[in-house]
Amino acid sequence: MTRYGMVFDIKRCIGCNACTVACKQENSLPDGVFFTRTLSAESGEYPNVSRTYLPTICNHCEDAPCEKVCPSGATWTRDDGIVMVDGDKCIGCGSCAVACPYDMRTQIEETQITNGLFGDGKLTPFEEQGYSRFECGSFTKCDFCSERVDGGLDPACVATCPTDARVFGDLDDPDSKVSRLIRDRMGRQPLPEKNTRPKVYYID
Amino acid sequence: MFKVSLKNVLRPGFAGGTFKSGYRFQKYWDTPMATAFFCGETGAGLFIVSMLMDFLPGIILGLLITGVGKTFFHLTHMGVPSKAWRALLRPDRSWISRGLWGIVFFVGFGSIHVLGMLFNVVPAGLESAVYILAIAGAMVVVTYQGFAMSHSTAISFWSTGLMPISSMLYGLLMGTSLVLVLSLLGFSISNPEYFSMVGLAQIALIIAVQICLLSLLHGAKNGSKGAQQSYILLVKDFLARPFLFGVVGIGSIIPLLILLFIPTNFITSLIVTGCIMLGFYLFRLLIFKAGVLDPILSPADIFKR
Ligand code: SF4
Ligand code: SF4
Repeated sequence: MTRYGMVFDIKRCIGCNACTVACKQENSLPDGVFFTRTLSAESGEYPNVSRTYLPTICNHCEDAPCEKVCPSGATWTRDDGIVMVDGDKCIGCGSCAVACPYDMRTQIEETQITNGLFGDGKLTPFEEQGYSRFECGSFTKCDFCSERVDGGLDPACVATCPTDARVFGDLDDPDSKVSRLIRDRMGRQPLPEKNTRPKVYYID
Repeated sequence: MFKVSLKNVLRPGFAGGTFKSGYRFQKYWDTPMATAFFCGETGAGLFIVSMLMDFLPGIILGLLITGVGKTFFHLTHMGVPSKAWRALLRPDRSWISRGLWGIVFFVGFGSIHVLGMLFNVVPAGLESAVYILAIAGAMVVVTYQGFAMSHSTAISFWSTGLMPISSMLYGLLMGTSLVLVLSLLGFSISNPEYFSMVGLAQIALIIAVQICLLSLLHGAKNGSKGAQQSYILLVKDFLARPFLFGVVGIGSIIPLLILLFIPTNFITSLIVTGCIMLGFYLFRLLIFKAGVLDPILSPADIFKR
């Protein structure tokens, strides 16, 4: 059975945030809403300091706490492991946002939709068609670009990444690139102590 | 007096809404949700204590505080209030859903019980079933919020069994305090012996709340990094003043001293209840404000850079 996951190669990531922009474009995300972010982290002590870039995204957790706490059934998991949110069913209670250890849930506020990207209350044709998928007040998150995946494409962030720092594929296929990278380069999951069993791995 | 607004507060090591790795505050459960929790626990606690004493004014007030107050603030908090009914759909897995069912049982059967007390409309054989279902609903309401918080591993500070215990203790403390004030206001308690029993229970509950607060802080101090940040916020940082003076001092130490050393009368009872109420409300608010998420991933931790 297919079980989609992603691998981030921290050595390759240059922090350009092209993925962040591609995601915003693909999903018509309003001002202030991000499904993926590349964070920067400084480590070490002067004079031996380094900066690392850490792409972050919904981990489509195997044991997704956001799904367990959702009282309305708006959060659900597809057979291929992609954790989805049905905006029509979401009541905007925020339980999922509080339960997600990775801060990957965002509420769509009415002003974000009505003000538009330029903040003047006039929506561009791009925004008009894109925002129709959002319900004001509901919560949303990355769905691994499920429509693209269903069409046989990679998620937009993966397709855009200029350094191949993001790899998408089937974790259940031992010969897939993601499985090999995780196996060969000791892929690690974020916050494993939270017992969410993320399907996103980091390699160094 | 206290600056407790949290949106985008940046502190050393905290990432806020930026593109940096670091601690983040939970920001979606804020004042309206804290107020809803406060109303739920206060109303259910008052209802339970009043039911045990057949104290009708307390039963009605408890139902109103939860049925009207809690519902109002939940709807204020909710992003899509028109679909609030959907929260009933997943009691199999969600504490929010279970809690809503608790509210339905509590308010529904509690109201029937009141009608039975006032107009004798409940058939004799059903009285005890209605009573038990109403109390069971109230027990769920007085604890589920703590369970909803402790269920989440995301915020280490909340992820402790002390959360539902603190909900229960504060709920019952508010219940006993309000019953005493109401009885001193002239609403008579059926059995006068209950008055001294409730007074003793109030003192015991204040002490239990203090132990619970200490245990919460102790657990956070020795917990994960996120929980330690919560501890620092509550004891040393910008939440320390409202927490130490408000929750601990005014909310529990002063009422205990008054109850132990000053004879009870209407004024002292009113002051004690006011102090406890303020302390409890601040507790609800600050526990939310101190909810800290661990850094999503730190290369220093994960890759030992
Ligand atoms: S990362 Fe957060 S939002 Fe995504 S599946 Fe896991 S718990 Fe849910
Ligand atoms: S905000 Fe929506 S998706 Fe999240 S838990 Fe509540 S109903 Fe479910």
